[in-house]
Amino acid sequence: MIEQNKQNPQTDSVPVAKDGGVATASSANEVLRVEHLKKYFPIATDFFGRPTAYLRAVDDISFSLERGKTIGIVGESGCGKTTLGRTILKLYDITGGQIYFEGKNITDLSKSQMKKYRTDMQLIFQDPYSSLSPRMTVGNIIKEAVCQHNIVPKEEVHEYVVDIMKKCGLRPQFYDRYPHEFSGGQRQRICIARALAVKPKLVICDEPVSALDVSIQAQIINLLKELQKNMGLTYIFISHDLSVVKYITDRIMVMYLGNMMEMGDTAGIFKNPLHPYTQALFSAVPAPDPDIKMKRIILEGDIPSPANPPSGCKFHTRCSKCMGVCAAKAPRYVEAEPDHYVACHLYDSEIMDHGEEYDITPYTPPAKSSEAIKSDE
Amino acid sequence: MKQKGHYLSVKESRAIIRHNIKQMKYYEAEKRKPRTLAEYTAPMRDNNNLIEIDSLKTCFFTDTGTVMSVNGVSFDIPKGKIVGVVGESGCGKSVTSLSIMQLVQAPQGQVVEGQIRFNAGDLGQTEDGRNIGYDIAKTPTAEMYRIRGKDITMIFQEPMTSLNPVFTIGYQLDEVSFLHTPGISAGDAKAHSIEMLKKVGISMPEHTYSSYPHELSGGMRQRVMIAMALVGDPKLIIADEPTTALDVTIQAQILELLKDIQKKQGCSIMLITHDLGVIAEMADEVVVMYAGRVIEKGTASEIFHNPLHPYTIGLQKSKPMINSDVNEPLYSIPGKVPSPINLPNSCYFKSRCNKCLAKCEGEYPKGVQVSDTHWVSCYLYEGKADTK
Repeated sequence: MIEQNKQNPQTDSVPVAKDGGVATASSANEVLRVEHLKKYFPIATDFFGRPTAYLRAVDDISFSLERGKTIGIVGESGCGKTTLGRTILKLYDITGGQIYFEGKNITDLSKSQMKKYRTDMQLIFQDPYSSLSPRMTVGNIIKEAVCQHNIVPKEEVHEYVVDIMKKCGLRPQFYDRYPHEFSGGQRQRICIARALAVKPKLVICDEPVSALDVSIQAQIINLLKELQKNMGLTYIFISHDLSVVKYITDRIMVMYLGNMMEMGDTAGIFKNPLHPYTQALFSAVPAPDPDIKMKRIILEGDIPSPANPPSGCKFHTRCSKCMGVCAAKAPRYVEAEPDHYVACHLYDSEIMDHGEEYDITPYTPPAKSSEAIKSDE
Repeated sequence: MKQKGHYLSVKESRAIIRHNIKQMKYYEAEKRKPRTLAEYTAPMRDNNNLIEIDSLKTCFFTDTGTVMSVNGVSFDIPKGKIVGVVGESGCGKSVTSLSIMQLVQAPQGQVVEGQIRFNAGDLGQTEDGRNIGYDIAKTPTAEMYRIRGKDITMIFQEPMTSLNPVFTIGYQLDEVSFLHTPGISAGDAKAHSIEMLKKVGISMPEHTYSSYPHELSGGMRQRVMIAMALVGDPKLIIADEPTTALDVTIQAQILELLKDIQKKQGCSIMLITHDLGVIAEMADEVVVMYAGRVIEKGTASEIFHNPLHPYTIGLQKSKPMINSDVNEPLYSIPGKVPSPINLPNSCYFKSRCNKCLAKCEGEYPKGVQVSDTHWVSCYLYEGKADTK
């Protein structure tokens, strides 16, 4: 399950300025703090195998997470949300930035040093069909990590596993069955039981319900919420389904091409989405009522390739409110409303008030779709 | 063949296989029999319907027993309308569409009963003025070649796997013209294909025409699939989960495009999806399926504003909505979809239903016509209107 990404030793030379002054005091309630996290994958190498170009899968992400809360990470496919989740677990080597878990810096810990923290952070995968070993019984699947980490004394393991299974809505007689005998929803319950068996503090849910049917989806969401309440869990909830995210999260982070676009508490973002991308994303969700005819903001074109992202603001090629400055200058994070951060020039008073210095006239970028990429060849 | 434990005994297993072979041989032989035109045509009930499905039964002969994937489904697709088919996975919505295309995996999968009448409009009329249509369930394969891909086309869920990676987009589009318009020149076929690519909103269609599927993004591929479905100027487009594999923003683009094309071409669309939001947005009429049967059908506003069947109600309540209250636990339907093998002759939903009556233990409920367009199959509404 844990795949340590063997990286080239050369990756140390990645042109990243390690941000200074990050070691601020954390509050006691804080479970996780991520500061300027970066994960670049080398995509082209020169003759000596040294990387010459990078794919910036996660680029400068910062957030913190309190105990018992849930943060939702939203975005289209290919925006780096899964990579972010795995980088936080240190399943990938970190290119830059810091990760603090309960106030301790875990960024530079080795694999063996990380083992101590593995029980505290767990992952629930998207596809319950491929993430369970078909050759192990349900009991063994759940038991494996418990025995490995000595969570409970050996003689109590069976009782403990059965107890966890009950909590996750699985009947004790399922202990000796194999995963293929279960439906998708039941399998996802097994995955949840496996993650929770080691008493984690932080659970990263990587699209846990997107492979399930609507009626089963509701069961799993309710289960996750109930377990959070009873066990005081903290979730990072990765999803592309906005209605699910609204239901389960306290905070939302919207990602686009590895960058953070907007962050704030869930109610605030849903009430008043500020970034044009967030607005388009929200308006694209079809409402289950035939009488609601929503005014759609339809984004033109596709998400650009993360290997060759647009200059300035990465979203400017599809943005309906694009200005001249957007193509030239990457936006800063501004606190547009209390506890509502957005990376957009529209809300940056420094840019908007200095129209003479910056070009804030509407600007239509040249179509950068697959045809444009092809014509480069 | 009652399953007591989890596993079948060798004896049972052999009996099933023997039964299957017999059945498959019988249906395959039926298919090969030469048929006269009168045998595979039937008059339509209503000339305004493009497709009329009448108690269709499609089953699969598997090693664990006969799976009734589609168990007596009846509904109509009117001309120029979008009909949405909703249901959870395994409810038979895809198999219904494959039966219309005569693409059910043979010999295991067979249409065993029922009629699918297709109003092609080229077979003349009966004495009382009804159009004669093809009965697709009996139409010979050679005849079906002319209909499939021209009059009835299909857009599949995975644009990634349904385009051939070794041929250019242009080749794959032209193929449709060559097959269905005998004697068309290569130049004309190309011009037609490029026109279709333009129609689905691909900028630089000449460029896309000569590129390979891997060079396009998911949204572009789905557009190419739609273009391919349009080449033959179809009367019916079957869209089988056309946006499930796409992002929300791309989904919005594709749905907009489908609506636009439906308006311009005046064709009908059968839209299969499990997303109630997509259905609400697109469909004029909705068919709700559960375990191989239609349990409710009606117009979109009837199904969404006045759902009757407990399953439809549960399905709508269990979908988290953007404007719903987040502090209440989400409504969920308990239990899971029943196994499709050897279903009893009683309501399949009764074990998950919260409004179950004593009557529900009896045989499968007959349909109740609640209004002209609204039909539901549930004992709760029996007697509220005349039983059909």
